[in-house]
Amino acid sequence: MVQLVGSLRKELADSLYTCKVLVVGAGGIGCELLKNLVLTGFKNIEVIDLDTIDVSNLNRQFLFQKKHVGKSKAQVAKESVLQFCPSANITAYHDSIMNPDYNVEFFRKFMLVMNALDNRAARNHVNRMCLAADVPLIESGTAGYLGQVTVIKKGLTECYECQPKPAQKTFPGCTIRNTPSEPIHCIVWAKYLFNQLFGEEDADQEVSPDTADPEAAWNPEEATARASASEKDGDVKRVSTKEWARSTGYDPIKLFNKLFKDDIMYLLTMDKLWKKRKAPTPLDWTQLENKASPQEESPASGLKDQQVLGVWGCCQLFKHSVETLRSELREKGDNAELVWDKDDPAAMDFVTSAANLRMHIFSMNMKSRFDVKSMAGNIIPAIATTNAVIAGLIVLEGLKILSGELESCRTIFLNKCPNVRKKLLVPCVLDPPSKNCYVCASKPEVTVKLNVQKTTVLSLQDRILKERFGMVAPDVQIEDGKGTILISSEEGETEANNSKYLSDFGIRNGSRLQSDDFLQDYTLLINVLHTEELERDVEFEVVGEAPDKAPPPQSNPEEVNSITNGNKDSAQPSTSSKGQPQTRKRLSQKEKKNLHGHDL
Amino acid sequence: ATMAATKASKEQKYDRQLRLWGDHGQETLENAHVCLINATATGTEILKNLVLPGIGAFTIVDGHTVSGEDAGNNFFLSNNSIGRNRAQAATELLQELNGDVSGNFVEESPDKLLDNDPEFFHRFTIVIGVQLPESTCLRLGSVLWNASVPFLICKTYGLIGYMRLVVQEHTVIESHPDNALEDLRLDQPFEEFKNHTNSYDLDSMDKKDHSHTPWIIIVAKYLEKWLSEHNDQLPKNYKEKEAFRQTIREGIIKTDGGVPEDEENFEEAIKNVNTALNLTKVCGVIQLIFYHSSCVCRVFSLIHLPVRGTIPDMIADSQKFINLQNVYREKAMQDAAAVSKHVECLLRSVGKPPESISEKDIKLFCKNASFLRVVRCRSLAEEYSVDSVNKDEIASYMDNPDSEMVFYLMLRAVDRFYQQHSRYPGVYNYQVEEDINKLKVCVNSLLQEYSLSVNIKDDYIHEFCRYGAAEPHTVSAFLGGSAAQEAIKIISHQFVPFNNTFIYNAMSQTSATFQL
Repeated sequence: MVQLVGSLRKELADSLYTCKVLVVGAGGIGCELLKNLVLTGFKNIEVIDLDTIDVSNLNRQFLFQKKHVGKSKAQVAKESVLQFCPSANITAYHDSIMNPDYNVEFFRKFMLVMNALDNRAARNHVNRMCLAADVPLIESGTAGYLGQVTVIKKGLTECYECQPKPAQKTFPGCTIRNTPSEPIHCIVWAKYLFNQLFGEEDADQEVSPDTADPEAAWNPEEATARASASEKDGDVKRVSTKEWARSTGYDPIKLFNKLFKDDIMYLLTMDKLWKKRKAPTPLDWTQLENKASPQEESPASGLKDQQVLGVWGCCQLFKHSVETLRSELREKGDNAELVWDKDDPAAMDFVTSAANLRMHIFSMNMKSRFDVKSMAGNIIPAIATTNAVIAGLIVLEGLKILSGELESCRTIFLNKCPNVRKKLLVPCVLDPPSKNCYVCASKPEVTVKLNVQKTTVLSLQDRILKERFGMVAPDVQIEDGKGTILISSEEGETEANNSKYLSDFGIRNGSRLQSDDFLQDYTLLINVLHTEELERDVEFEVVGEAPDKAPPPQSNPEEVNSITNGNKDSAQPSTSSKGQPQTRKRLSQKEKKNLHGHDL
Repeated sequence: ATMAATKASKEQKYDRQLRLWGDHGQETLENAHVCLINATATGTEILKNLVLPGIGAFTIVDGHTVSGEDAGNNFFLSNNSIGRNRAQAATELLQELNGDVSGNFVEESPDKLLDNDPEFFHRFTIVIGVQLPESTCLRLGSVLWNASVPFLICKTYGLIGYMRLVVQEHTVIESHPDNALEDLRLDQPFEEFKNHTNSYDLDSMDKKDHSHTPWIIIVAKYLEKWLSEHNDQLPKNYKEKEAFRQTIREGIIKTDGGVPEDEENFEEAIKNVNTALNLTKVCGVIQLIFYHSSCVCRVFSLIHLPVRGTIPDMIADSQKFINLQNVYREKAMQDAAAVSKHVECLLRSVGKPPESISEKDIKLFCKNASFLRVVRCRSLAEEYSVDSVNKDEIASYMDNPDSEMVFYLMLRAVDRFYQQHSRYPGVYNYQVEEDINKLKVCVNSLLQEYSLSVNIKDDYIHEFCRYGAAEPHTVSAFLGGSAAQEAIKIISHQFVPFNNTFIYNAMSQTSATFQL
């Protein structure tokens, strides 16, 4: 094949033949990127993606066709590219990049790593692997019409984790279980419910009324009412939700009456909750059935998904989806579990109907299936054009890195339309590493505020080390002079510690924990700050980091950047839209940095 | 049943984009017929990004045969296609991307078509011309201009990308502004709204109802009181607005001990005073649109626009919210009906059947009345003529000798080179040195012809010779994304396209738009 060298310098063009690069993710950006790489002259490419192809990918992931649905993205992407460019040498992995097989040695093989990912956990992990292997990384993302590309090089630029990202939104358990006030609360509840009934049960995803709600502390005289209500509920309490559901044979009407009548009546007995709030209204299947009017189902114009169903419509959808899920579960055999997936019609119908019924009960305006899907699936709109633009930019940054011109690399933001300065693209000079970064600093250290008497070893491991600090398999040692091992990544070694509290190991205010992740070649020193004054449902706080707040603007953009950014795309899942008029929002450079697209 | 199944499968396939432009936007795409001239790397990248989201049909016009270079930088041409017609070869592979799209090709150069059958181009929703020489652009530009077919010119030249949109008039109903103000009419309440507000008596409500009354009602109530006490003058400055907020604050229910209760809806009302007091007026852009067009909405524009009929989400119980929403919705429907009636008269007066503008379109129009936009580009003839060239724009940007404007001038000089030498500068290695001088001559003659006293650095002349008219794939990929996005805006009449020239510099990853 004639390779068009064109505007590349010859030495650069030659080096493309020999250098090996890794593409992490073979989705929207990944497909475009693979094409651009081979056509720019890259010969040795490895690509990894754990996902399989879905119909909703086909509007942009052009290496896939309808016949490929269900197959490995990485594998099909490789085959499609080879069809067009047989001379390329491509290795595909249908796997998670967080698998320990892909260790520092693996990363060292590459001259360049390019992320085309859709989630923060994997981005954090690849960031650490590239720091450990000292390989340059190009990070990118798109969301609707917006996109960005940046370059990360150990010691020279900020790493992916130098700027704290706003915490992913979570909701207090009591809000979900007792006092939802926004549609998203009901949607989260419905997703939990799905797992409780059909999927993997998770103690953190309870859906029944929470009697321990501190806001609901009862007066003694109401004890009678409570007792009688909980008697009705008695058999449900003793067995798990799933076992109970199973014992009814997943009878949709029994489930309905338990979830939307009995549980709600039970909530009503916690009357302190409803002093200031509007109390929920229980629903009764038979009553609804009797007064159901046939005209409620009149289909208007437009897409079916975009219509809001009436209450009885939701009831029928609920019944129908429970029946479908029940047979799916039966087909899979004993002890089978379903996994919730926004693109599985029955699972989505279930969440749509259950969430809407709960919204109605709690006097909220109901939502269409289309909107529920957006919120439940954290769907970020994605189109071919933005991915094409971003993948084009990635390769150009890559060429600069390979020619040793790191100083000319930029973070580039793509706007929805030319900004007030008539710029569609906003390039910014790369920032140097942050000295206080808990990942790329020479001796990373953080202070965590928690209650040593209430924090278990398991929640230290899962919530703090894994979820918050992005470790995959942490080992933890207490710096108590004896080197007590608190958590070991070897299976079975420290499991007995899991349910114990930190204080059981002598950990107290001022204790220091050394946490290592062997795979990521990463050590983090944790200073424990004991406190008894955390807000309800808050397990811990990282000191010096205001959760949910954007970091202060700084940075040195090449131009004064005062564009109004359309990051509030109408389709963007919005979790708190109550009465907030969309005011003119100007984003600082750093805030924009946190606008991480998620299309892979 | 099969119809419904196709619709459902499309809904699934296009889910992620329906969230941006809706099913009516998708419908316009599916009805569009796009013409691409020249299936070079840039051309096929653009078309790929239009075939994936599902345009109805495309036609590639290309008289070239596939070369080795083509196979090297174009994903939709392979070694097997070398020697075949480029339109045909590219159509086959692009067609594979989406079975819902109909692909066609014409094995002919655009110039030949313009000679024999210029009306051929009238049938398209948009024509996208890629890597065209200046003479073809000007000829085709004038044909399409007269036929009111939008023309998008694209060029990848080395590390520079160029787009030019040529359209006489492009109208946008849904411009999707980022920060639209609500249309609540609190300063000029309509009769039905007044009646609805009067049905509330905040003083005699129980606590639960009081704290679930929508903030719009609260503000309206207190505003009525304010107006009666202030000579019908709205609170205007900060001080007055603060005083107005205070009156609302005093309306919050107090406990027996005199402590104000937690009433979130009142807090919302206080927070929204500024928004609520926004004057209902027709903004400048819209006035201009109505002034310049024989617009059916003129009857409204003198006083106000049709009511939009939507209200923001707010704290309220469902019933109260829905009742209020219905007041606005019904008013919007009445206004739309009035517009509709007027449209009917107008249509009849020009001898057209009343159904030639649909009810649905009128409603959409009314809903977006304050977001309407019209884009009018200058023609290529105007841009190129010595008499109407936009010298001011060029000269002012060239105050900075490294402005993206310099690439525009270089591209024009390169076109001139092509006219004189029938080849682009630097395409043959042995001629690079010689071509540098020839290109310099072209630059100077261009500047002279337009009497532009600007300075173009020699570096740029060298750089453009070095490019040798190459079309690097990754620059094509960038332009392919950008151009397709603009084409989608034009086809769907949603979002505002650029006007009229876009330059991308891949060396610095910068871009600019100019009005030329």
